[in-house]
Amino acid sequence: MATLLQPEKVLYLVRGEKKIRVPLSQLYFCRYCSELRSLECVSHEVDSHFCPSCLENMPSAEAKLKKNRCANCFDCPCCMHTLSTRATNIPAPLPDDPTKTTMKKAYYLACGFCRWTSRDVGMADKSVASGGWQEPENPHTQRINKLIEYYQQLAQREKLERDRKKLARRRPFMPQAFSEKYGLGTRLQRQRSGAPISALYGLSLKEGEDQKEITIEPAQALDEVEPLPEDYYTRPVNLPEVTTLRQRLLQPDFQPAGASQLHPRHKHLLMKRSLRCRKCEHNLSKPEFNPTSIKFKIQLVATKSKFGVNINTAPKATTHSFPRQTLFTLSGLTITVLQCVLVPSKELVLSGKDAAAEYDELAEPQGFQDDPDVVAFRKSNKIGFFIKVVPQREEGDVTVAFKLRHDFRNLAAPIRPTEEGEATSEAIWLTHHVELSLGPLAT
Amino acid sequence: MPLFEGLGSGGEKTAVVVDLGAAYTKCGFAGETGPRFIIPSEIKRAGSPEAVRVVQYNINTEELYSILKEFVHLLYFRHLLVNPRDRRVVIVESVLCPSHFRETLSRVFFKHFEVPSVLFAPSHLMSVMTLGIQSALVMDCGYTETLIYEGVPILSAWEALPMGGKAIHRELHSLLSEQCTLDTDSGTGLSLRTVISNPTHTSQHTICLRTCFVSDLQRGMKIQEARFNLDGSAERPAPPPDVEYPLDGQKILHVKGAIRDSVAEMLFEQDNEEKSIATLLLDTLVKCPIDTRKVLSENLVIIGGTSMLPGFLHRLLSEIRSLVEKPKYRDALATKSFRIHSPPAKPNCTAWLGGAIFGALQDILGSRSVSRDYYSETGRIPDWCCLSTPLPDSVYEAGKMPPPLMKRAFSTEK
Repeated sequence: MATLLQPEKVLYLVRGEKKIRVPLSQLYFCRYCSELRSLECVSHEVDSHFCPSCLENMPSAEAKLKKNRCANCFDCPCCMHTLSTRATNIPAPLPDDPTKTTMKKAYYLACGFCRWTSRDVGMADKSVASGGWQEPENPHTQRINKLIEYYQQLAQREKLERDRKKLARRRPFMPQAFSEKYGLGTRLQRQRSGAPISALYGLSLKEGEDQKEITIEPAQALDEVEPLPEDYYTRPVNLPEVTTLRQRLLQPDFQPAGASQLHPRHKHLLMKRSLRCRKCEHNLSKPEFNPTSIKFKIQLVATKSKFGVNINTAPKATTHSFPRQTLFTLSGLTITVLQCVLVPSKELVLSGKDAAAEYDELAEPQGFQDDPDVVAFRKSNKIGFFIKVVPQREEGDVTVAFKLRHDFRNLAAPIRPTEEGEATSEAIWLTHHVELSLGPLAT
Repeated sequence: MPLFEGLGSGGEKTAVVVDLGAAYTKCGFAGETGPRFIIPSEIKRAGSPEAVRVVQYNINTEELYSILKEFVHLLYFRHLLVNPRDRRVVIVESVLCPSHFRETLSRVFFKHFEVPSVLFAPSHLMSVMTLGIQSALVMDCGYTETLIYEGVPILSAWEALPMGGKAIHRELHSLLSEQCTLDTDSGTGLSLRTVISNPTHTSQHTICLRTCFVSDLQRGMKIQEARFNLDGSAERPAPPPDVEYPLDGQKILHVKGAIRDSVAEMLFEQDNEEKSIATLLLDTLVKCPIDTRKVLSENLVIIGGTSMLPGFLHRLLSEIRSLVEKPKYRDALATKSFRIHSPPAKPNCTAWLGGAIFGALQDILGSRSVSRDYYSETGRIPDWCCLSTPLPDSVYEAGKMPPPLMKRAFSTEK
């Protein structure tokens, strides 16, 4: 099939915020809206988190607490490969008898790719295989937390004042005529959202309140900054010791300049995504919870909806004036092809999809009468038909666009019971705009 | 951090804080001590071999929209791993950002990702929040420009200079192409241009970072004199040792020692208008009202990635102190004391940290942000340079003064 290895040959037009042309394999079909959806017109949501190296699922609450990092796995700070824990035997004195020594197991982290080990940065070997390694803490944490508390107090104060003003205005101390005349009443009461940031400093802490006041010392400015050491100008640069930008930015809190201060970090998690139609808010794709499973709980991809056009054989179109015949394969239900260049104008009838018939080689031909000019072959629910294409220009690529209209039986169980008591769901007619690129003109 | 805070105290989730810089983007959550990720502000597209820069002001809206959409998608689903619909967004941005860029960015956030609210925070103001002081003179040495600003903003006294990391890299690139040789498998002593036509951004950043530095004042002045060499007598001080810099494993770039210290000099050279980074600071002080100058000069804050070059701060202080003696400034500025703050974060994350502190104030974050409803009603976000947005409530006390009639003529609200 031409489209398996070259999906860009058959494109479908999706009318979302803007018109996009995408192959069917990248589309979803919302069966509640009965429309094609592309990745641009669905909303993406984070479904579940997992670690890419140990493939362990992590519930969202735990992920938030651990800052989206795995508890067990580490990344090499030099090459970002996953670190492995290695064990050695070191002699250690027995607790009872200091003279005798026994072998104790000690664990250290090592990278299999760049040969970095945790001993390079001075991390001591641990006696437990996992759980002993800690990431260093940011030295400014305390100060930042204090600042946040202080500002939160100011913010609370601002909120109280704002609420007080709102209540104050609702009191009818302004005569009714005044407010009607100038139209002030509603204007001043309305929240001004998006106001430019006026300083929180306007609310000073000098107004005494009964709450406990949190004060912070303002930061002290320094008179002198340390200059570069004298030997900086003459010392040769030891490049392996200086960290690259990427290594530094992986640790935003510390950004060390020397490689001897690069500590390993826990591995960052990946997430599985679920997609949701924006119009009807139904899920189009929902993956399984288990990280090792590639299946989906809900998978409404367009290729499963059993309609699609493939180019079967496209002989090289030449510039002759009489039309060339190209063979198209169409699978789906009843179709009508409208509005095209020399296309069969009759309705083509296909049989429905029968899964068992695929395996039945000696299938009896169904009783359809096909016009041999239009229909080339018929097999289970596929049909091949001819379209004659006349190239309009001397050179360039040939593109054929046509609208494909077919009826579609929505097999989703109806949520609301039908009043007329119909047993089968109704067939609706869907129209797709299909574009086929047949390749360059042969000279 | 208190343990319960992670579970959402009061039911509202922590806001997302993003600092979109020209070279690097810092992203993370409010209330934390540092950004989760610092990633380059570029996206990789299937069409072009080079990465596409995200922060571009000259391209048309559609292209910018799709680039920003892809970038923000990466931010949420690869780095932050949260749903955009649940959390408010704080965007720390430079005041000089064009309105068209801000509007496209807010359209991406509101229309495509459907966030509940967005707050645009000026980066300079946010940096001051990390210190707990009332006012300061903030200089942001970023990638494309250096910008000065005061907290409790004195907007008329801002200054900017299009000189930042990008200029350093361009200089480095040209110097390297002219003077350095490259060793590869095929031969030694090849010139750079024959082998690599356009070294990528990251490799340039890294070469600059690891080998270059800023010399102190005396040495710097000597280097500058030697460069312009008007009388032919100035001698260049002895250059630092050469570095053999490996690229890609097979190529070795010989970086001449002279390049290492002269590249950063261009930040301090005074061009034809006698403007350099140091004069930027002094010019701003001159523009400020007299009674604020002493306070401001004793509260200098330097943020931005370019200021992390070794020796930068020391050189800046000495330049300022020597320039203050010059006749241009000596009469204008009475104050001679300059002090620099050291914020509780690295200079490239300071503005982000301020945004994170502000984003943690859940009581007022909602009222100060642009909510999705407001955006869908008006279709615009308020801008400091736009007159059609009504002023906030606090300016008009209840019942004292009606808003001026002119304001209503321009206002779009009923």
